[in-house]
This record gives sequence, C-alpha cells and structure tokens, in this order.
Amino acid sequence: MDILIETENLGKSYGDVKAVDHLSIRVAQGEIYAFLGLNGAGKTTTIRMLLGMIKPTAGYARVFQTVVRIGSQEPWKSVGYMVEDPHAYPELTVYENLEVARRYHPGTPTKAVGQIIERLGLEAYANRRAGVLSHGNAQRLGLAKALIHDPKLLILDEPANGLDPAGIVEIRKMLLELTRQYGGTVFMASHILAEVSRLADRIGILHNGELLQELDASQLEKNRRRRLIVQVRDVDAAQQTLQAMDLAGEVNEDGMIILNHTPSLEQPEEINRRLVDAGIPPTQLWIDEEDLEHYFLRLVGKDGGMQNE
Amino acid sequence: MNNLSDMIWIEVRKAIRSRMPIWTSLGSLFMPLGIALILLIAKNPEISKKLGLISAKADLMAYTATDWSSYLVLYAEIIAVGGFFFFILAISWVFGREFVDGTLKDLLAVPVQRISIVLAKFIVVIVWCLAMAALILIFGLVVGSLIQLPGGSLSVILNGCFVAGATVCLVIAVVLPFAFFASVGRGYMLPIALSVLTVITANLMMALGWAEIFPWAVPMLHAQGASTMMPMSYWIVLFTSLAGMLVTYLWWKYADQNR
Repeated sequence: MDILIETENLGKSYGDVKAVDHLSIRVAQGEIYAFLGLNGAGKTTTIRMLLGMIKPTAGYARVFQTVVRIGSQEPWKSVGYMVEDPHAYPELTVYENLEVARRYHPGTPTKAVGQIIERLGLEAYANRRAGVLSHGNAQRLGLAKALIHDPKLLILDEPANGLDPAGIVEIRKMLLELTRQYGGTVFMASHILAEVSRLADRIGILHNGELLQELDASQLEKNRRRRLIVQVRDVDAAQQTLQAMDLAGEVNEDGMIILNHTPSLEQPEEINRRLVDAGIPPTQLWIDEEDLEHYFLRLVGKDGGMQNE
Repeated sequence: MNNLSDMIWIEVRKAIRSRMPIWTSLGSLFMPLGIALILLIAKNPEISKKLGLISAKADLMAYTATDWSSYLVLYAEIIAVGGFFFFILAISWVFGREFVDGTLKDLLAVPVQRISIVLAKFIVVIVWCLAMAALILIFGLVVGSLIQLPGGSLSVILNGCFVAGATVCLVIAVVLPFAFFASVGRGYMLPIALSVLTVITANLMMALGWAEIFPWAVPMLHAQGASTMMPMSYWIVLFTSLAGMLVTYLWWKYADQNR
C-alpha cells in the first residue's frame, strides 16, 4: 500500500522551545489517521510542516513521495487542506470564494463549484457573503474549499470544530465515504477523543510535541483501564474474604471496594459467589471502564486515570 | 509562470468586491477638489474677502498656478505627495489583507507558482494606482479648462501631463517595496506607519541636499523639475522598486507562515 504521508524525525523548535520533536509517522493510502493532542501539543505545527508552510528545524516530511519544501508548488495538486479556523474573503459570496479556490487548483472544472456547494449543503448560502456566515457554515465553506478539486489526500485541522451534532455526523459520513468508497486518505488533527475514536483507523497521540503512542482504533478500546467495583454492607469483612483470595482491593471514599486484578475482571461472578458464601452479599457489583477522556489524560500525564471517586 | 491570468482574475475580483478601489479613488479626488476650490476662491475676490486665512492660502496657491504649465506642475507635486499615501493604502490592502483576514494559508499549499500569486498582486496594485492617478489628472484637466487658465497650448498641456505621468510612475515604483512591509508586518499598520516616516525622511533629505539619492524624494524632485536630478536618481528608484518586489516575493516563498 502506498505511503502518502511520511515524516522522519520531524522537528520544529522556536529557540529553546520544541514545538514538535522527533516525529516519525507513516500514513498509508485509504487510511484515516488522527492526530490527538491537547491544545499546544504541536498538532497544527505538524500540519503546517506537512503543508510546507513552515520549515522544519529537524528531519523531513514527504507527501505523495515528494519531500515537502517551503514555497514549492509540489505536491499539492491532489491535496486538500484546512488549517485551524476556516477563513474566507468576507466580501465575496460563498460561490465566489469557491470560485477563487477552484482557480487556485488549475484543471478543476467550473462545474465543481456547484457540485461542492450541493455536497456540503451550502445551496441556501451560495449567494451570501462569507463574512456573515455562522461559524458552522464557515466551517462547511472551509471544507468545501478543501474538497473542491477532489483531492486524494485531505489534511484537516479540527474538522468538526464549530459544527452542530448533525454537521458532525455529516462530516464523519463524508470522510468515511471519501476513504471507503474513493480510496482517499485523511490526516486529521483533533482534541475531541470521542470523534477520533469513531472515525480514525489509526491514532497518534501527541503531547508536548512528541508522539507518545500510535495505535489502531481497536487498541484504544483494549488499552482503557477497567476495574471491578464492589459495594457491600460490611467492607472490612469483605476485604478479609478478598484477602484470603489474594485479591484485596482499595476502598474509595464512598466505601466501595475497587479491584484492578485480572482474575477479578475476568471472573466477577466468582467474586460475587465467594462474597455471598461468606455471608457478605454485594449490594452492587459492576465493571467500570475508563472513559476515553480519562484514558487520554492518563496517557499525557494530566490525570491519574480513573480516580476512586 | 503558470496561471497568471487566473491569479489576476482572483485579485481583481477581491479588489472590486471590497469596494476599496472606489473608496480610495473617491478619497484621492479630494486633492484636486481642494485645488479647484482654492483656485475658485482666489479668482473670486468677493468670496476671498470673507474667508480670511483660507483666502491667504488660496492666493498663495493661485500665485503658484497662474497658467497651465505651473498648474500641471502643482498637480504633479500633489501626486508625488498625496498620491503616495493613496498608493500606500492600495498596496497595504492588497498584500496585508491576506494576513488580516487569515486567508494567506489558503494560498500556500496550492499547485500554483508563488511568483504568479505575488506578481498578480503587484499587477493589480499598479493598475489600481494608475487608474487613481488618471482620475486625478483628468479631473485636473477639466478644472483647469473650467477656470480658463491661460497658456493652455496643446504642447504645454501634453508636456505637463507627461511630467505628471512620469511622476506617477516614479511614485508607484517607490510604493511597491511597501508590499514587503505589509507582508512582514502581517497587515496594514506597518506600511502606513513607515510611509509617514518615509515622507518625513524625504523632507529631511531635501533639507540636507541629498534628496536626489533618496528614492522616495525623487518623484517630488522630478515633479518640480529640480536641476539637482541626475540619471542615477532614476536608476536608484528602479533598483529600489525591483529590490522591494524581489524581497517581497522571497518572503512570500520562504518565510515561515505560522499564523
């Protein structure tokens, strides 16, 4: 499978500050690769380096097997992009802004403007000045500009930003359609974990400019912490019973026993049976799965993961 | 240089739809309107008596523009100074707006040579400035005819227009480097502030007797037909203009665009 984006030890420093450091990633054709990170993690700097807007201070980036060079007109023919907030010429209408975008991509047919307006649901706003559009519609216009020349690779920075739930679903469908039906490739940066987990095939987690982890979307599920929570009337007696099984847990401030051991997670019914046999039947017993936000924060060291709340 | 015509189309569209050319042209007409009013006051003693200080100024200006020849020199001088500021507005807007509106990033990763994008902007600025200058000059010719200035032979008028036209070209040439300041300053403020500083410096250079080697003073010297002018002065203007366009292009091509 062709590698459309490749970075090798890519880095960007501003004085002593390393915005991006030793970033090596590969994005294959047909993939949706999501870059996940907090604000200031280095997502936009990476995207700007991929698009030749800023020079790396270390390493290199290749897009369509072409080394990206600042100011070059290659390899942008089949690349669509949207960096940070979408901007448009405020005095031009939606139609005119798209006509401008079309002319920046020589060879794009005139009819592409009408088609992309229809595809993005912008018909009602076609003759409206871009300066008066709502944030959501401005975002649609930004996406329309990125898609007008039917690119094979889309590089998007926070594509769902400012969209209402229906808009988010629509964009998700469109990006999935682009990759699944047309073999397109998407590289997107986002800080919205739930969105990324629904859409991406692979996820790169970026923090303080470094790639902390790269994983498949399915791995994301597996890596989330799980714990068994047991609520009983006599905590001390229950702890003694569990200790006898070598499974003593922590007790949180609400008096619930938290068990992280693999046997208790794999066979919670056995815990239940032993407690019932000991005359301490649990009033509640359930497996709690770490939510995506906690998982992410734990990974970037901003949170201890699941707290015993 | 590919797609230059498309890039020019884009720049023309942006300029026209913004209405900036109309507003700057209307604004620039205040200069000849002012001259027309002053000449009218000077020619009507009845109005002149009632206006006191303005009357004294009007008399002074009327004294300097007693015939077509001196009137057109006055026009060339006005273009050299007043036109300079309006041309600065045009170039600041064309280059600075991409930064102010946040649209620059949409021009950077496209399959069009950067030189086509930058050159289209320069072409639109030049045409815009020439149109403004033509409007000012045509207005001046109409006013001159209406107030029936003496000495209006065809050769005098053509010569005056030629001097004014050459002054316009020199002003446009020295305005073009301000595209660099609009780009580096990422907006309108730096070129406008520097244009004021440039005019002050040009006056200082005139006082020191070095005006002929200071490119931004050369248009005024040319308009006045100063004897200190030398061929080198025009070469300095040309070099300044080309160097300004070159550094603007290099900046657009190679500078980090992280905003």
